[in-house]
Amino acid sequence: MEETREILSRTALSLPSPHVVLDLLSVGVCPRCIFRLFGVHGQAYCCSAITASVLQSFLEEQKSCDNGTVENRLVSDGLVRCSYTSQESEDDHAYCCICLGVLQLACQQDRKMLTTSKEGSIDDFTATIAELVKRENHHIDGFSIEVSIPPVIVANERAVWMYMKKKYNCEDWFKDKIPSQHISVKDALRLSINTSLENHLGVKSGVDLFRIRLNYSHLDASRMLQSSLANNHTCKRQKTDKKDNRDSLDDSHKSNLKNSNEHLCSESDSVILRTLESMLDHAFCEHFVIPPEKALKPCLLTTTCYRMPIYIGGRYLKFSRRVSQSCWIIDDERMGEASVEEIVGSNALLVCKGDNYKFHAAGREDIDVRMLGSGRPFLVEVSNAHCMPSMIDVQLIAEKINNSDKKYVRVRNLKLVNNQAWTLMREGEAEKQKQYAALVWTSRALTEEDLHSISSRKDLDIIQRTPIRVLHRRSPLERKKIIHWMNIERIAGSCQYFLLHLCTQAGTYIKEFVHGDLGRTHPRFL
Amino acid sequence: MEEGQEDETLERASLETAEKKEEGEEELRSLLLPDMKDVPPTPPSAVESNFVRYFAADFMKPGHDQFVYRHANGLCVIGLAPTHVALREKGGVTAVDYNVGKSDRSEMKVTGKRKRNAQHFESNSALCKVCANDTFYIGRCCVKGSLLEVNDRLIKQPDLLNSSADREGYIAIIMPKPADWLKIKDSLLSHEDYRKLRSL
Repeated sequence: MEETREILSRTALSLPSPHVVLDLLSVGVCPRCIFRLFGVHGQAYCCSAITASVLQSFLEEQKSCDNGTVENRLVSDGLVRCSYTSQESEDDHAYCCICLGVLQLACQQDRKMLTTSKEGSIDDFTATIAELVKRENHHIDGFSIEVSIPPVIVANERAVWMYMKKKYNCEDWFKDKIPSQHISVKDALRLSINTSLENHLGVKSGVDLFRIRLNYSHLDASRMLQSSLANNHTCKRQKTDKKDNRDSLDDSHKSNLKNSNEHLCSESDSVILRTLESMLDHAFCEHFVIPPEKALKPCLLTTTCYRMPIYIGGRYLKFSRRVSQSCWIIDDERMGEASVEEIVGSNALLVCKGDNYKFHAAGREDIDVRMLGSGRPFLVEVSNAHCMPSMIDVQLIAEKINNSDKKYVRVRNLKLVNNQAWTLMREGEAEKQKQYAALVWTSRALTEEDLHSISSRKDLDIIQRTPIRVLHRRSPLERKKIIHWMNIERIAGSCQYFLLHLCTQAGTYIKEFVHGDLGRTHPRFL
Repeated sequence: MEEGQEDETLERASLETAEKKEEGEEELRSLLLPDMKDVPPTPPSAVESNFVRYFAADFMKPGHDQFVYRHANGLCVIGLAPTHVALREKGGVTAVDYNVGKSDRSEMKVTGKRKRNAQHFESNSALCKVCANDTFYIGRCCVKGSLLEVNDRLIKQPDLLNSSADREGYIAIIMPKPADWLKIKDSLLSHEDYRKLRSL
């Protein structure tokens, strides 16, 4: 009780005169909306004891004090023992005319009323959220709250400001209170439930990958908003049409109206918000009820929780000529024996207990080409990981992959990376030079001259037409490429087989450079 | 004292890395070098490995043998088979012209993944005129489909038909629809049957 009074007293310092606030209460604005309209900060939001009736009683007490006191509005000690009379407001079953119950924590969840009383307890509200997190088996170190509210709330707030402007424009205090001082519904909600939620979940809130999303919607109010906007749109059209001297009862015009109304019904939230913002005060007052009507039903709340995607990166080596890089299935038939994507991705998914994975690599190689040496950089994107992997977990993933009995793929330097690695990978793909080794056979025997002439060529320019083997799905183009250097390594026991080591510009088709692709790559090797 | 020990650990670490590097390189070498026992003395050529070779013998005229190399992706490379009469003429092929009266086949420009602007041709449509010993021979499509590309190198280097008609001297690349390919497939000869027919 005492605490509540203290909080209210401090809060009152930011609020205008009691008669104004009482007026707002009677219009149907909830206490938290009142606080945030006038830029109140602090404990006022998470004090569950502050109901509309408690606030009302406090203010009425203040008002009668004011009539006696000369200077300030602080309640004097003598009135501490006054008893509160809770006056039942007429519309017991109505919800805040601005936030439609959001800040009253009274909302519909899955068609069941969260609470029967108009003002729900913060603790019950956050307990339900914590239950959801637990039920879905999330292991978290922190959380971040995302709130989505319907645009009609913005319209309601403006309607209340218009109401106040009309009524209190002349009063001194109004000139000081600019709407920009207000705190948004989203922020006010966070202020209300943050601490309680932190207690239930046992972790702190802040910038975190784990998101708790509170999605509010109100079908009836949103429909009303749509029709108000449509009317405004119609009026504007009629005005411009009159300018054009068109008969407004024209059939085609009527159908145009109908189309534009339907068009507005499917507008996205951002478009609606923009329309509202661009509306001038007088137009707004014409098409909206001032002050807004009280809501008989609160918002519908859908709570979801998920973790933003995490990235595990490293380099992979591929030892098999029958394993493709990405999952390759045509008409339900798998081409190749396996894929790097599935081997790496499925193991990562298992350890992170995620919903899904995506495999991204810096470049690619054919199914029948091995990936050796230091390996190709890759990223696995795991969505909604229920378990944030530790360094040991990541090592575990690497071990599972490297120790499998089918020695198809190996990974190196596996670690948890942030989003930055993503851009580096894309850059690496295009810029870097790539090194290859090819086993080549020629119809004539190799000579020492061949070795010298090959290794002496540096930065050889070649032109490659789109290889026939990919011409069915790539644009027919001519691509200029550079072969930076080449070296022939003889193989013991053969004068027609040898290893060709070469370093080329990224994007060069190596096979076609060696055999020439029927003359479509020119010049070709040998 | 402690600093000295630290240095030792660092040195060891760098030694290890150098060793590991050498190991890695050894491993790479062993992976790259093939086991010569597993390697055939004469491997199949790139064309043999990547295409299925079909032949049309006496296509519309006796002695007009052509080849159709079909890739797994459905594209068909068309050209004159080694037994084509034009290739037996005295002096060999001296000129190739893609202007066959109706249009110059070398002028079309096919763009994009979807291969727009590609002209559709029947199997007996003319692709080019090949001049050998003052005689003109017509190279035809053999396969119904969209013309993706003509080998315009033949215009400046008609001699390619004399040196490698079955490779760099190809005439065009055609993309038949799957249904059209199935219809024509059975009327073509396999490589083996072609060789038997021409006693090669």
